[in-house]
Amino acid sequence: MQNYRRKYEDCLRRVQKPARYIGNEFGSVHKEKTDDMMTFAFCFPDVYEVGMSHLGMKILYHMLNERDDTICERVFAPWDDMEQEMRKNGIPLLSMESCSPVGGFDIVGFTLQYEMSYSNVVNMLDLAGIPLRTSERGSGDPFICCGGPCAYHAEPLAELVDFFILGEGEEVNGEIMDVYKEWRGSGKDRDEFLMSLVGLGGIYVPKFYDVEYNDDNTIKRFEPNRPGVPKQVRKRIITDFDNCYAPEKLVVPFMETVHDRIMLEIFRGCIRGCRFCQAGYIYRPVRERSVKRLTGIAENCIRNTGYEEMSLSSLSTSDYTQRQDLIDDLLDITVDKRINLSLPSLRVDNFSMELMEKIQKVKKSGLTFAPEAGTQRLRDVINKNVLESDLIRTSKIAFGGGYNRIKLYFMLGLPTETYDDVLGIAELAKKVIDEGFFTIPPEKRKGRSVSITVSTSFFVPKPFTPFQWEPQDLISEMEAKAKYLKENIRSKKIVYNWHNSDISLLEAVFAKGDRRLGEVLITAHSLGCKFDGWSDFFDYDKWIEAFKANNIDPAFYANRRIGYDEILPWDYADIGVPKSFFIKEHKRAYEGKTTPDCREKCSGCGAASFGGGVCFE
Amino acid sequence: MSKRRLAFSKLNMAKYISHLDLLRCFTRAIMRAELPVVYSQGFNPHQKMTFSLPLSVGVTSSREFADIEFEDGISDSDIMKRLNLTLPPDIRILSVGAPEISANDIFAAEYEVTILSDSHCAELPDACKKFFAQPEVAIIKRTKKKGEQELNLMDFVESAEGFRECGDDARFSLTLSAGGQKNLKPEIAVEALIDHLSSQTDIKITGYNIHRTKILYDKNEPKEFN
Repeated sequence: MQNYRRKYEDCLRRVQKPARYIGNEFGSVHKEKTDDMMTFAFCFPDVYEVGMSHLGMKILYHMLNERDDTICERVFAPWDDMEQEMRKNGIPLLSMESCSPVGGFDIVGFTLQYEMSYSNVVNMLDLAGIPLRTSERGSGDPFICCGGPCAYHAEPLAELVDFFILGEGEEVNGEIMDVYKEWRGSGKDRDEFLMSLVGLGGIYVPKFYDVEYNDDNTIKRFEPNRPGVPKQVRKRIITDFDNCYAPEKLVVPFMETVHDRIMLEIFRGCIRGCRFCQAGYIYRPVRERSVKRLTGIAENCIRNTGYEEMSLSSLSTSDYTQRQDLIDDLLDITVDKRINLSLPSLRVDNFSMELMEKIQKVKKSGLTFAPEAGTQRLRDVINKNVLESDLIRTSKIAFGGGYNRIKLYFMLGLPTETYDDVLGIAELAKKVIDEGFFTIPPEKRKGRSVSITVSTSFFVPKPFTPFQWEPQDLISEMEAKAKYLKENIRSKKIVYNWHNSDISLLEAVFAKGDRRLGEVLITAHSLGCKFDGWSDFFDYDKWIEAFKANNIDPAFYANRRIGYDEILPWDYADIGVPKSFFIKEHKRAYEGKTTPDCREKCSGCGAASFGGGVCFE
Repeated sequence: MSKRRLAFSKLNMAKYISHLDLLRCFTRAIMRAELPVVYSQGFNPHQKMTFSLPLSVGVTSSREFADIEFEDGISDSDIMKRLNLTLPPDIRILSVGAPEISANDIFAAEYEVTILSDSHCAELPDACKKFFAQPEVAIIKRTKKKGEQELNLMDFVESAEGFRECGDDARFSLTLSAGGQKNLKPEIAVEALIDHLSSQTDIKITGYNIHRTKILYDKNEPKEFN
């Protein structure tokens, strides 16, 4: 072990940003390993500064380390320059804390935050020297598991992963360690351990299911292959979110990370039900933390980290029921200490002058809003209950209050979209300037001019949404729409950015794919695919080569309309919202009917069966 | 309000913390320690903090110096005690006191250089010694202001001595010009040495370590900066 450390240290002299690999940050947990302890390698399949920005990892890392019988260490994907040094010098993937080879841990867990990190999962297993396929692993190998939002449906990784955790790690991970403790040294085989995990609920073991296909490549049969394995795995979530574990000591990185601040999670879930948004359904029901608990967590985090910024974290900050009280209380404990409070994920329909003045007290930066679609018709289809008048009113408040830059996010390629809807984006941005800024009398304008940034991404149909049956636009259509929008934005005050269309296609394939894609992933890895979320690495041609080599047509997954009666690759997962609800919502979308949010009126999605949160407010 | 000089060590993996990251690390450690620090005025207030002689990334040090302004009423020993609880383990405060010598008087820094080799070679220390006995060695120095410049390494070498074996490695003490007037990063000198060894001898070098042992002031009568 020690000799890896010397070689590893020496590599750092030759790489960019060596601080990514040094560990020993303030707040990192270093435990002495004794024989009776269990080891868990928490892997984030992206580079350090991205992984260290992720709240989920912070929660689960500290939570597992609170157990006396468990050591949890962090692992990140080394950047390409470091990976080359490591491979050249025969160094396997190592953990941050003790520089131990990842292959020697008892359980290796990956968090899946986005589909485009799957190739990094493969690369990290390879760099760790762990056999890629579950079928190739034996008694000396660790168990590989995955959690996080993509783990609700990660069939493309089914051949590589021993078990998936469906739901919230805070609820399940401790029980997994308990089961491991009992299994270890019991003489039972690996399958018996996995069977015990199945008994916990919320655990999906892909090898315990058999899949058969029809001639047209659709699924014919998807069934458990042994007794005691349920046909559907129900997610496990925390019902008492106010009292559940939240870390109050955080690892404070040396280098600047993407989100380099305290993230205060005010609630989990979202009341809105935007029809394209997977997070809005998989995290149901909405569960809030009380102002009292949040200020307590905030005070401790400030004391324990020394961070100069705190942001409120949730899917929609302004939907927090006690937002005025919370912001007042947080300002009381932050202003004197010169800590900036930032409020991301604001909505335009409940954004007030008062709220704006409060956040301005500390820092005035740009504002970002996400109308998602350019016309009211299309916003009704996607159930983004935001009115044009809301956006104009909000822009007026913001420009009048001294902001001079507003960012607007939209999606192109949404179901039922026409070129009129695309044009609507350009028109809406222009109205924000004309009606939100030029109607303010010149003497009352704070800035001399304003700018609007319009960003579009391409719609990716996701499982567990009413749009899961929808095809994605072909790349040619996506590009034509982006071009049309660009041509129709003529104001010099509006800047237009759009995302890469090739990546959106890949994202759709892996979001909705089945387990046959495992071999595509392995081929793509052998061709050198990694860091696909980074434009400097993403290589579309290699992916197409990998699909061809495995006789798989990506369009089958991304660009095909799926029938309601077809067996979906993710039907095994029960997120608490049944398919029947999504069918109902899908039909309402086509009728242009909106669905009220959870607090306005319950729409009976099924999440009440978890027995907590907004359903019982 | 008073300025205090904090002497601290920067060891092990902390050598890879860049100057900017070190500044942030101290700022946050001071926040965690809840020390009464003085902030600058203006639009973007920050803690008033300067480092005497920035250390290259990849170099460890026994004794570095940070000058930080504190409000009155906090003792030197309190600052030291509290910061040592809130700094990461590889950065340790060694002493706190009023600054007496100006950082402008710094003229040189002494380094302990270790040239790593994985096979034993008795000639290695001597080969290093011979390199530094040359009257002229051309090096390229890159600065933002002047771009690339070709310079003579020996103009920056104050002394190179104590060449000795250390297991398979070779170790010696190197004093180089440092400070505002004339400055050379130690890795430039050491890499020039390794280039020379690889091209002029058969000795196989696997790497190097540089450790700053002291900072010197007063060229006429060199003394350890404190």
